[in-house]
Amino acid sequence: MVRFKNRWLLVEFIPTSNGSATQLDGYKIWEAVRQSVLNNFGDVGWGSIGLSINVKYYSPTTNICIIRVARDHHRIAWGAVTLLTAIEGTRYIPNVVHVSGTIKQTQLAAISHNREVIARFRAQAKTSSAYKDSYEEYLKTSAMEIEALHD
Amino acid sequence: MFFDLNVPVHHPQHSSAQISKKSKGKQAQQPAEVTYSPAQVAAIEPRLDLLVHLGYTVVALNQTVQTAVIPKAHVNILENLVQQLKPRPGIVILKRLTIVLDQESEKGFGLTPANASIFKPYDLIALVPTTLSTLSLACLTHSQPSALTAHIIALPLTLRLDFRMKHTLVRTALKNGAVFEINYIGALGGENDTVLVEAGAAESGASAKRNWWATAKEVTRLTKGKGLIVSGGVVAEADLRAPRDVSNLITLLGLAQDAAHRASTSAPKSLVLRAQTRQTYRAVLSDPVLVIPEGTLPTPSVTSTPTISSSDTRSDKKRPREGEEGEGEIPQKGNSTGPENASRKKKRKKNAQEGR
Repeated sequence: MVRFKNRWLLVEFIPTSNGSATQLDGYKIWEAVRQSVLNNFGDVGWGSIGLSINVKYYSPTTNICIIRVARDHHRIAWGAVTLLTAIEGTRYIPNVVHVSGTIKQTQLAAISHNREVIARFRAQAKTSSAYKDSYEEYLKTSAMEIEALHD
Repeated sequence: MFFDLNVPVHHPQHSSAQISKKSKGKQAQQPAEVTYSPAQVAAIEPRLDLLVHLGYTVVALNQTVQTAVIPKAHVNILENLVQQLKPRPGIVILKRLTIVLDQESEKGFGLTPANASIFKPYDLIALVPTTLSTLSLACLTHSQPSALTAHIIALPLTLRLDFRMKHTLVRTALKNGAVFEINYIGALGGENDTVLVEAGAAESGASAKRNWWATAKEVTRLTKGKGLIVSGGVVAEADLRAPRDVSNLITLLGLAQDAAHRASTSAPKSLVLRAQTRQTYRAVLSDPVLVIPEGTLPTPSVTSTPTISSSDTRSDKKRPREGEEGEGEIPQKGNSTGPENASRKKKRKKNAQEGR
């Protein structure tokens, strides 16, 4: 069986306190990763992963991103994500939260990560637990979007 | 349990220190007590917060000194800083001193028994050799077990080293228990510690990254992944990276996946434990304690436990095992309970008797 295997990277982009953070989207992240691969690993590196790399999902509220790469050279892509310093001029810290081979595990990890981040926001805002804020809505829509991801 | 054993911290009056360097000698002595203003402490807190957020549990604040440690002028900036930081439960903060060795340090750089009191408060001592002779000094002389062992040898990875590292030197250092350190800041091309840049031990630029890859690969090849630790050396917050990301980066140097994981977990852990032996005499980890249980006669097993524990820890010094928790625990974590200790000591006594 020669199945095409993938690795799904769940990446959190932590913005550093450097003034205004421009709104990111999937394309900008893809472009930044591409530049990082070309700078650090050259044409050979981009050739190994270029055809298979895909940014599947991005959420601006929690800065979470799901990237799919082929399994054979996923370490190059992972290394390039780590060596990324800035996207569109703003500095970010890329933090790979979870790596898995199936989309199911990534979905579960993404949903639980979103919940943790929202819990942190709520703890900082110090609202009472009965207060219904807009995060509830966000959690539902993001969970639906993540579940809708497919290979 | 992830370790970052290199978080550079500057002297609070760094800029004034530069000015006083220019007019040598006749300046007034620097104050023995160094206090960090609340603003400066507030600048360091976010870095520690980020490190905790990314998953690091043990962090070592690093003070860097150039060329030599001058007993009269040396100020321990970390003592007061550690007390001024807010308490973080579950995080261990260690103190480390790094000495950058260059041509002038070949004659001597202050790591002598006469200055032992200066080095006592630091948990870790590191050396940054920039020439072949200082490298051999670091690997051969200063890795010997004593109260002044420099356990960490951090080669300046962003420089183009004009000397070849000899395999025999590296092997001796590893045998004595020293480790080689790789700082991942060089791969990112980020801002380096200013003291290192002044000392000419670090660069940032296009060639710096290439040198980093070349030298780091060489270090990995020579150590075969055994005595290797990975740390940050990160000054700017934006250059910090999560421990698993760093492990992956090290894999790209040609290190196997499990060796890379060891380099950020068990290797620094055993290093910190080994560094604790500096506080003891001749690497006997604990002071022998004579325990006479109440109501029993002093049996031979009780009186002979001190010698058994010393010989055990001596042989274990180079390979501290996870199971030897009773004696080898990091003090901040507290001691294990009484009955467990007694049963372990009994087992050791039996093994020692069978061995004879």
